[in-house]
Amino acid sequence: MPESRSHTRTDTRASTELQIEDAWRVVVLNDPVNLMSYVVMVFKKVLGFDETKARKHMLEVHELGRSVVWTGLRETAEAHVFTLQQWHLTAVLEPDEAPR
Amino acid sequence: MKRRVEVKLSLPVVAPLLDVIRELSAELEKTLAAPQALHDLDQDFRGAWIGDLLDSQNGDLRALLSLFDGEFFTEGVVAFDETNAEPIVRACTAFRLQLRERRLKTLSDEALETGDVEMAGLDEPVRKAFMCYLFLATVQELIIQHLDSTILGA
Repeated sequence: MPESRSHTRTDTRASTELQIEDAWRVVVLNDPVNLMSYVVMVFKKVLGFDETKARKHMLEVHELGRSVVWTGLRETAEAHVFTLQQWHLTAVLEPDEAPR
Repeated sequence: MKRRVEVKLSLPVVAPLLDVIRELSAELEKTLAAPQALHDLDQDFRGAWIGDLLDSQNGDLRALLSLFDGEFFTEGVVAFDETNAEPIVRACTAFRLQLRERRLKTLSDEALETGDVEMAGLDEPVRKAFMCYLFLATVQELIIQHLDSTILGA
């Protein structure tokens, strides 16, 4: 039993390290063209945000120039970036290193 | 229940803007409306990525152009529904981005955002481009206002 617990601890640490190493951010940058209502709709459609969360991120983009809208594994992050770009938002992929 | 929104447009106002929209469509055939930074992708993947974005963009532009068919020129009516709302709302953005990039450079971003522009002071091509910019924003707002749930549910 103790041996088994030891393995569990090691596996958990390895898994945590993997998640941190693999984390990528999806960042949306401001542009002067897209309507606020359009950006809110796109966030709801693509990222599944509710109205409040979508508006919060839209205002962050508008006022601060960028907003981190999603963080996680690279493959999913790439899929989100592609879809946001299909909707003509300026979306970039960033490794999740610097402070948000 | 399927939602369908019909809008009657003023032919004398909108018809001249279609020339601008068709020109923009030709310009965007091989160019992304919103150039994207793809530094983190390898060369091959980047090419496929851009190709897929262009295919999607061209499909959207065709959907918007197909609004202006025979019925528009006889009745002045265009219709939005669950099949065309999503590509058209995206196409409006693509055209507006291209207008800003290619035809409205003389206007500040603030003027474009607020719409606070003295139309009488604009040269004819810029005036026409700006009218087109506003028209496409109105189409987007109409679709978002009336078909938002249709798009979100698609």
